[in-house]
Amino acid sequence: MPGRKAARLLVGLTAAVAVLGLAVPANAQEKKIKIGVIYDLTGPLAGGGSELQYIGAKIMLDQFTKTGVEGYKIEAVYADAQSKPDVAINEAVRLIEQEKVNMLLGFFSSAQCVPVAARVEQLKNFMWITTCISSAVLSDKNFKYVFRPQASGDQFGLMTTDFIAQNAKAKLGKDPKDLRVAIIHEDGAYGVDVSKGNEAGAKKAGFNIVMKEGYAATAPDLSALVTKLKRARPDVIFHTGYNPDITLFGRQAREQGLKFAALVGHGAGYGVYEKLKEGLGGDVNHVFNADPISIWAANEKGLNAKLPPVIKMVGEEFDKVKPGVAIRSAHVGMAASNTYVFLTEVLPRAIKKYGGVDPEALRKAALEVDLPEGGTMLGFGVKFFGEGEQMAGQNQRSFPVVIQYIDDKSYVVWPKSQAQREAVLPLPKGSTFSNQ
Amino acid sequence: MQAFLDIFDIYLLEAVVNGILLGGVLALLALGLNLIFGVIDVTWICYAELVMIGMYGMYYMVQVFGLPYWAAAPIAILLVAALGAALHYIVIAPLLTAPPINQLLATGGVLFILQSFATVAFGIDFRNLGIRLPVLAIGEMHLSYSRLLSFAAALIGMVTVYLFMTRTYTGTAIRAISQDRQIMSLMGVDTKRIYLITSALGGALAGLAACLLVLQYDVHPFVGLSFGPITFLICVLGGLGNFVGGFIAAFVFAEIISLGGLFSDLEWGYVLAFAFFIVMMFIRPAGLFARRS
Repeated sequence: MPGRKAARLLVGLTAAVAVLGLAVPANAQEKKIKIGVIYDLTGPLAGGGSELQYIGAKIMLDQFTKTGVEGYKIEAVYADAQSKPDVAINEAVRLIEQEKVNMLLGFFSSAQCVPVAARVEQLKNFMWITTCISSAVLSDKNFKYVFRPQASGDQFGLMTTDFIAQNAKAKLGKDPKDLRVAIIHEDGAYGVDVSKGNEAGAKKAGFNIVMKEGYAATAPDLSALVTKLKRARPDVIFHTGYNPDITLFGRQAREQGLKFAALVGHGAGYGVYEKLKEGLGGDVNHVFNADPISIWAANEKGLNAKLPPVIKMVGEEFDKVKPGVAIRSAHVGMAASNTYVFLTEVLPRAIKKYGGVDPEALRKAALEVDLPEGGTMLGFGVKFFGEGEQMAGQNQRSFPVVIQYIDDKSYVVWPKSQAQREAVLPLPKGSTFSNQ
Repeated sequence: MQAFLDIFDIYLLEAVVNGILLGGVLALLALGLNLIFGVIDVTWICYAELVMIGMYGMYYMVQVFGLPYWAAAPIAILLVAALGAALHYIVIAPLLTAPPINQLLATGGVLFILQSFATVAFGIDFRNLGIRLPVLAIGEMHLSYSRLLSFAAALIGMVTVYLFMTRTYTGTAIRAISQDRQIMSLMGVDTKRIYLITSALGGALAGLAACLLVLQYDVHPFVGLSFGPITFLICVLGGLGNFVGGFIAAFVFAEIISLGGLFSDLEWGYVLAFAFFIVMMFIRPAGLFARRS
């Protein structure tokens, strides 16, 4: 009898311990989403805009870390892709397999995005791309877990050619068919994709494409490219590059006496005004750049009323990190806005409607995002192409704008609906590159 | 026929001249690396990173401390010369008798140390000296003074090194050691001192290159990646340790890049240059100007 009692006691104790044992971790296991964040913090791309993107994303993640989302804590794990695709892949896999992150966010370079997206999809993890624009990341891939609120590269190329086409007669005094254009680009996924958009847009507009050429962003000399441009005599140069090659091109173009009516850049290096100014001095005046609109230049009246205070907060936080910057780079707002969309639209829906933060819940929630124009700090709306569509995962409502740097300020000049002022076109007489 | 003649325009001449000027930049870079290899028989994989440190030195002295360019340049040259001597004393000297692969790996390690040091100390921003030299315009052809300067410095550097090596006692000792390092120490020559002088001289040439490159390029921790591999290839093409060979190889390489880039895509210029290098390695593995034994 005492033996039976002891046995019952033991069973009871075991059961209690088991229940408590299960209950304790259940209580202790806080609800959280672990987000792996990858940008280039070292290497040439860091100074080319990636560090600014990192700052933008971090500002937003830090804000939400303070409050959490729907009872979930936010834990960001940062990694440096070192401007190398192989490192980006390794870091992505490390974050997923060792750090056990629920998702990945970030990515500046298209050359990294293309292979990383494929790997992440293979691992069935969730990837939210804030920055890289190459269409090759998503085109015909039919990825289920990769989403990009950002505009795609060919949209950049099409936007700038459309801008020039619409202004050719009025500003440059030439019919589009008589306009000589050159398309030059760095030869990575980003440059090639934008140049394809440029070429398609140029053909659509009927421009005379006198030259189209790629080059390595690390090339120590671009003088042969400049000589060929001099021989081709383009009115407009569409250029896609990172920062060291853009300043090298600008400097050698000045030294070799290249003349044109307009230079149109496409994000990345052209989005970091401070560096352009430092490298090219006054020659950067009147250069055009296509990028998602800077959140500080967006027309507040057209935005959702809850967004202007967030924009103000991002600006204040950025000024603390980088005080005294003449023009706050569009890069910062781009990452901040795209991160904000995830934290306010995708994550709460995944938790509330789909019960968690697993890739499947995040995917379903992302596909249901339906923001009209003005729904993001970048002015555009968000609605992703769904499975089976050619650009599955791409935001179909995003668009870049064309800005122009004038006297140390940047102005949106295209499309007309967003324009803050008339474009200065062609380059004024007397400026270094003017062909007038 | 007319289409063929059309090729010979002012732009072709401009490309040829630009090739020569680029050759000057590359020759200047190759000079110091060749000197080190010729004498000490060690390849400084981190040579372009020494140039990077020199460029940062110039940037800080001119932009931050407000020194005039002409005053900053000698200080930068001395700084990199000291760095070259320190590199030899700390890293190379203990490895002089080690297998070549160990020496190569050690200087490779220094490359990463210098890159990381620059990233931590100076940040990842691209920095610009802010000096814009005028341009020499000859009709339609425009030539950059900064490149002309590099070209002149490469020529003067080459001649000075040549005279130093042939007309001075130390230079003669350096040449003698490069021919037989064992026998010279047996004959009472202080080889350690000669190695240290050679390393400082190699560093000084990297410093000189830095002073001129900083006029043409932004400086950032990874700027060496643009020049390091090409400089190394040029030295190999000219024959490692052969100053004249390296000098001429720099111009051959630069002209292939420039003219190849003019007649085809820019990238084809580099493809042709590297293809030429590979072919020459089959035909003349010891370099373009190696003496046949």
